[in-house]
Amino acid sequence: MELFLVPPTSCPDSTLPQPSDPPWSPWWTLCHLSHHGDQPKSPLPRSWPGQVSRFCQEMKKSKNYALPNASWGPDMLSLYHEFLEKTKTSGWVRVPSFRSNRDHIQGFKLPLDLSANSDKSDWRLFTRCIEREGQGYEYVIFFQPSEKKSICLFQPGPYLEGVPGFVHGGSLAALIDETFSKTAYLSGEGLLTVNFNIRFKNLIPLGSLAVLNVNVEKIEDQKMYLSCVTQSRDQQTVYAKASGTFLQMHLEEDSSRQ
Amino acid sequence: MLRSCTAGLRSIWALRGRREGAPRLSMDLQPARRLFSTEKVIHKDWALPNPSWSKDLKLLFDQFMKKCEDGSWERLPSYKRRSTQESEDFKTYFLDPKLVEEERLSQAQLFTRGFEDGLGFEYVIFKNNDEKRTVCLFQGGPYLQGVPGLLHGGAMATMIDIALGSCTGGAVMTANLNINFKRPVPLCSVVVINSQLDKLEGRKLFLSCNVRSVDEKTLYSEATGLFIKLDPEKSST
Repeated sequence: MELFLVPPTSCPDSTLPQPSDPPWSPWWTLCHLSHHGDQPKSPLPRSWPGQVSRFCQEMKKSKNYALPNASWGPDMLSLYHEFLEKTKTSGWVRVPSFRSNRDHIQGFKLPLDLSANSDKSDWRLFTRCIEREGQGYEYVIFFQPSEKKSICLFQPGPYLEGVPGFVHGGSLAALIDETFSKTAYLSGEGLLTVNFNIRFKNLIPLGSLAVLNVNVEKIEDQKMYLSCVTQSRDQQTVYAKASGTFLQMHLEEDSSRQ
Repeated sequence: MLRSCTAGLRSIWALRGRREGAPRLSMDLQPARRLFSTEKVIHKDWALPNPSWSKDLKLLFDQFMKKCEDGSWERLPSYKRRSTQESEDFKTYFLDPKLVEEERLSQAQLFTRGFEDGLGFEYVIFKNNDEKRTVCLFQGGPYLQGVPGLLHGGAMATMIDIALGSCTGGAVMTANLNINFKRPVPLCSVVVINSQLDKLEGRKLFLSCNVRSVDEKTLYSEATGLFIKLDPEKSST
């Protein structure tokens, strides 16, 4: 169960991906990818960006939260399995989710003026802050590299309450920002939110399934523009619409860690 | 947007039946019913210093408490759960028994007060009633991380939602939020959110805020928001 990445044998620094390079840089060549769990081994198209494969690498030491557990309701489970099928047939990728974003970017370092006091091992990704199954955020993101879009299946637990019985607007905003963040990074190294706009339409009942549809609308001047529609599974109820702008930032390899 | 928002609420109210009087959503609540907590926990006001508060946060808290002495400012208390009466009211308004299990609902608690001391949102809000503005002192803990070492944008958005909401009175709901992030906030640092009511048009409240460092030298973000006053009397169909 290994990930094989084959970079060119000789690669001077100047050939490293630059911020201006399109995401599908031919610099990375993906040979073969195997997943843990219930996905069959099958070679992925050679055009699949190296970024996506590296980001989505299963970590042996870190728990992957983007997997079903006992708290997932029937709606969440059935839609999850629908998309799992799509990962086998139409190029969708299930994005693993770890307790900290550091697990996604092993071997990279943040630009000096960004990383404050070094992150400690007990620091957690906000949307993975509530440990107990079913109490907080239950979600999984599926990403479609060829269309730069993603779907997030979200089942909110009782700890996310705002108005009694319904999801806190801020907690939904946080998950939308998080889905934007993963989509932006996988679509072209979008890293930091510069603008976030959300229009709330209807309340989400705690424990129900909400589906976030995220699209990259455009990439211009090192900024990525994304949109999100959050709705019920049958699309009859729109819960919220949001848009976000992310700054693209290239992460340097951290040679000191290797 | 406003039409769709209140139309949504109207339809919910129509389904549930009219009720007299809008329940209050203010922060100074009666202790909540809870199945397995001691009384001490129920009565606890979370907007007070605890050992996880940094020196910066405690200093600012003391400065604002001094301002409260002459009555021009007041500290808003903050509880984990809503009153029994308010929960019952909302259940009648909004709750479809098919959608939410009763058991799960009884475990519900206000999102930002669901963390152990220091791990999540540590905040206190001071209100200046004359000037219709509030100051929120916020320390984001290690469970609010986004990019490693930095506060998650969504956690900042949550606090901005709360800070803007604190400038309103009575039962309101957030309709829109627009946030411009200028600089990332280091995790576990203290920020000051200054919010104010800019304009009131009928049931529409237009608010804005800025997020600054303790020394006011760094502007982290600016935001605007639109909140809607809930009024079941007017929304009957």
